[in-house]
Formats: sequence, structure tokens, C-alpha cells
Amino acid sequence: MRTEALTLNDVTIDLRQQRILESIHLAVDPGSFTCLLGPSGCGKTTLLRAIAGFTPLDRGDIRLGAQSITHLPPEKRQTAMVFQSYALWPHMSVGENLGYPLKLRGVPRSERQQRVADTLQRLELSGFEKRAVTQLSGGQRQRVALGRALIIDPPLLLLDEPLSNLDAAIRRSLRGELRRLQKSLGITTIMVTHDQEEALQMADQIVLMRAGQIVQVASPQRLYQHPADLDTARFLGVDNIVSCEKEDPANARGATQFGFRTRDALVNASLNAAALNRKGRVSDCVYTGDGYQISLSVNGDTLYATSDSPIALGAFATLQVPASALIPFGPDNRHLPPLDRHEDIA
Amino acid sequence: MQSARGTLLVLPALTAIALLYALPLARSLITAFRSNDGSWTTEHLARAFSLYGRDVLFSIGVVSASLVLITVISISIAGYLVLGTTPWAVRLLRWLYRWPLFIPFVVSGQLARSFLSTNGMMNGVLVETGLLAAANAQSFLDWRGLVLTFAWKQTPFVTLLLAGAMAAIDRSHIEAARNMGAGRLRCLFNILLPQAAPTLWVGLILSLVAMLSVLSVPLMLIAGNPTMMTSMMAHRITYYGDYGIANALGLFSYALTAVTAWVYLRLTLRREANP
Repeated sequence: MRTEALTLNDVTIDLRQQRILESIHLAVDPGSFTCLLGPSGCGKTTLLRAIAGFTPLDRGDIRLGAQSITHLPPEKRQTAMVFQSYALWPHMSVGENLGYPLKLRGVPRSERQQRVADTLQRLELSGFEKRAVTQLSGGQRQRVALGRALIIDPPLLLLDEPLSNLDAAIRRSLRGELRRLQKSLGITTIMVTHDQEEALQMADQIVLMRAGQIVQVASPQRLYQHPADLDTARFLGVDNIVSCEKEDPANARGATQFGFRTRDALVNASLNAAALNRKGRVSDCVYTGDGYQISLSVNGDTLYATSDSPIALGAFATLQVPASALIPFGPDNRHLPPLDRHEDIA
Repeated sequence: MQSARGTLLVLPALTAIALLYALPLARSLITAFRSNDGSWTTEHLARAFSLYGRDVLFSIGVVSASLVLITVISISIAGYLVLGTTPWAVRLLRWLYRWPLFIPFVVSGQLARSFLSTNGMMNGVLVETGLLAAANAQSFLDWRGLVLTFAWKQTPFVTLLLAGAMAAIDRSHIEAARNMGAGRLRCLFNILLPQAAPTLWVGLILSLVAMLSVLSVPLMLIAGNPTMMTSMMAHRITYYGDYGIANALGLFSYALTAVTAWVYLRLTLRREANP
């Protein structure tokens, strides 16, 4: 089946008199990898379930290619979903789990067996046909669930936090594997995640959501460097906010606050007038593995910076952030200059 | 010390089981093989079979037909309760289907009599609505009445267990199947039922035991022969004081339930051997 573009238009959902999604507009290019990113309760999973057909819309339209799927039941949509819990059927073997979608499509037994074997080979699980799914490890279950979704050659792949139940090492290796597989198949993919690192590493386009609305749609680089507002910035690891002062670099006209990440702030670097400088007293010094994280008390606020060597508590130190690492925000807490909410991806 | 305390704790339960269950069961089994003079014999068994062989077969036929009907209806109701998409219909059905659970067998028998007899409510309605000519009205107070009454009384019980088992299955299993292209009927038969089957078996075996032990319904619905084994046991005891043959008939009931329980156990063991 040909991979398709996905278009959401004014998608609005109420559940129990409560608005869960408010007028979502989104265009997803065919063959691209899109992450729905946001804190829990922001509506990202509801949006994914709405695309799969499990949550009815109160308003709006969902199109797969040229066809509207808004009113189709889940079984007619051809969207393949990988569930957070994997949802492998425990009464079927690995081979039966993979073959069931083909059986539903009337694929003859011999072809079914061949395609199941091919899929298992691609997932590096050759010879697992007869295994019970209950005997598999988390990573193996995850791959079987992915194989079951891909075996029907769907136009759209939906992933609901597919890596969140795995431990960190497997998660990291599966990220790359999943991304390579997606690229080689060229399948339009939408993944829900609350892990910003995962989204930044995997996506072509990140849709940042908060309280049922889209806050920003951008490429990972763009989102990371230019978050639309202060809350988004905090969510993406911008852990220092300072008020602008006269001698600070003039990055953007009208900026009242700068945000920056701890890793971009250095302590006691050689003086640089084109950078932001703050003097303060060291209140904490923590070893982080690849250096030290220094907490500085500056006019009653705490700022964080990194240092190669430890610094004595109570000493005075200067924190320095290069102009390129400063993210300017206006008095309304929005990024300056203002960003278009639906920018083109880079 | 610890084990002595443990024994002391289970002693009351153990005594109750021994005195109220194991002992009477053993006594009735032994009585089935004892003649009046106290010697061992298989005569009761032979006579029970020659006198009541037809009733034994009738009982097996009736409970089998009832079990089929119970299975079909309970799967339909439980399936709709889990997969139904019309909220008010699901709520209504969930409220309605349990009613017969609270009605005793003897009242069910009475209800069936007034509903299924020649001049009963069912024929009355059919004749009123013109679906049946009054001259063709016939009584259902035979094996059909028994099957209908048993099914009516036991379906809610099996449905209760089955719907509970189906509701306990992770919702995402159903959603995954629908996502892969399965309609609701396929979800029921390919995803829900295989996972809930052990519970269905338990429900059916318990129903079988209940139906084989009910006396009131066959007494109220069936006049004459053949009838259920329980009727004949009661008859043998009340009119002849003949515990030997009554217990021999009881033996057939045990055998029947034992066979089903054995089949069930084999199935579960096989499932556990290769999950």
C-alpha cells in the first residue's frame, strides 16, 4: 500500500463535558516521522486514538491522502497502531499474532507463513513463530507488536509511547532501529511520546502540545533552539531564566528575559563582552559525570552552570553564556521575534 | 509448635468437610453397592439402569440441549456487554439479564408452568396476535419446557462469569484487533472468547451440576416418563424407601459431572503445559 499524507482539520474532542482537544490543525507529509510531544494529560494520546478511530470527534475532519476517514470505524481505517502495552494476544503464538491481520485480509496460509517469516527476519526474530508471546522479553514483544502493525503494509503507522516500557539501554538502541526501519519503509509515522530526547532524536517534525492545543510545530533543531514560549522552553530543558540587563547582548529587540541551558553556561570563563555575564555566590557544586554543575545565587535567584573543576562553596564566581545560546522572550513570555505557530519544517 | 497451631486452625473447616460432605458422599456410594443383607452387589446398578435407563438418557439429552442454549445466549449477551457501542442498550441489558439469578428454581418452575402450558401466556400472546391458530396451541411442558427453564435460570449465572472474564481482558487487545481490521464479531470469537473460555467452562460445569440436582423443576413440568434422574431418585425414596437404587441413580449423576470435570481439567492442563 502506498504511504499517505495525513491532514487534521479543526479536530475537536470533548469527553464527559470536558474539552480534551481544541481545534487541532496539522499536516503530516507522506513518509515523514512526526512526534506528538507534551506533558501527560496534554491530549497527545487522545489525538493518536482519534486518528486510529477509537475516540470520536466532536468537530473537524481527518484525511488520509485524499480520503476522509473521520466517519470510518477503526477496522476500516487501515491505520496500524502499536500500543503502549503492545497488546499482543496471549492466546496466540508469535506467528499467529503476526499472521492474524493477514488472515483477516484473506491471505492464503502459505503466503501468510512466508510473510510472517520475512517479517520475523526483518525484526531479527527468525524462528520465533511457535513461541508464546508470554515468553518474550519486553524488547522482543515490542518488535513483535511493531511487526504485527507493519505486516499489512499500512499507509500510516501510529505509535503510542512504544518505548516507554523498556529499560534505558534497550530504549536507546530501539530508537535507532525504529527510525532506520521507518526510513527504509518510507512509511508515514506518528509517535506519541513525553520524552523530549526521544522526540528530538527520532522525528522529522515535532508537534508540541499543551492542554489540548498545539503550541508549536517545528523540526527538532528549530524547536530546541527556538521554543515558542517560556513553558515550552522549560519543557525542553531550558532550566535558567534571567531578566535582561542593559549590558546584555542585544539579541532581539524588546526582549525582557533570556532563557539558556545549564550546559551552555560556563563558570569563570575568560571575559567576553558579547556574552551574558552574571556574578554570584556558589551555593552548590555537584559532580555530574562529565563535569560539575554549579549553583549560583544571583540577586536571590539560583542559576546553574557547568564547570570542569569543582568550586568551593561560598566563593564568588561569574557565569557566562555566549549570545548564540540565549533564547530571548518578550514580556508576554513568548519567543522574540514571534514565531509562526505552524512554521515550515527546516 | 507452628504446625500444631496450623492444624488447629484448619481443623474446624476440615471437620465440617469430612462430616457434611465426604462422609455422606462415601455413604451414598457404598449404599449403591450394598444389598439389604449387607453383602456387596451390583444389582442396584443393574436394576437402576434397566428401570431408569431412558430417564438417564433423557437427563443427558436435556442438560446437553440446555448447555448449548446457555452457551449461545451467554456468549451473545456477554459479547454485547463488552463490545456494544450503544451505551443505553448496554446499560439496560446489564441491568435486565441478572434478574433470573434472584429467582429460586421452584419459582422458575412455577413461572414456566404458567408461561408454557397449552393455555399459558406464550400461546395466549401468539393466538392474540394471530401468529398461531387456537386449535394448534400445544403445551411445551415436556423436555422443551425443561430446556427453556434451565437455560432461562442458568444463562444469567454463566453470563455473569463470562462477562466478568471478558471485561477483565485488557481493552487494548480488542482495540489492537479492530485496528488490524477485525470487526466486532471477529473480536468476540477470535480475541475475547479464547481468552475467557476457561471461565465459560467453569460456568457450564457448575450449571450442569445445578441442573442435574434440581428436583422442583422436573417435578413441576414433567408428568410421567421419561423424566430427570432427580425425580426418579425422589420417587424411589419417598414411595419405596429404596436407597440402594436411588443411590445407584445418584452414581450416574456423579459419573456425568466427573467426566465433564475431567475433560475441563485436561483442557486446562494442556493449556498450562503450552501457554
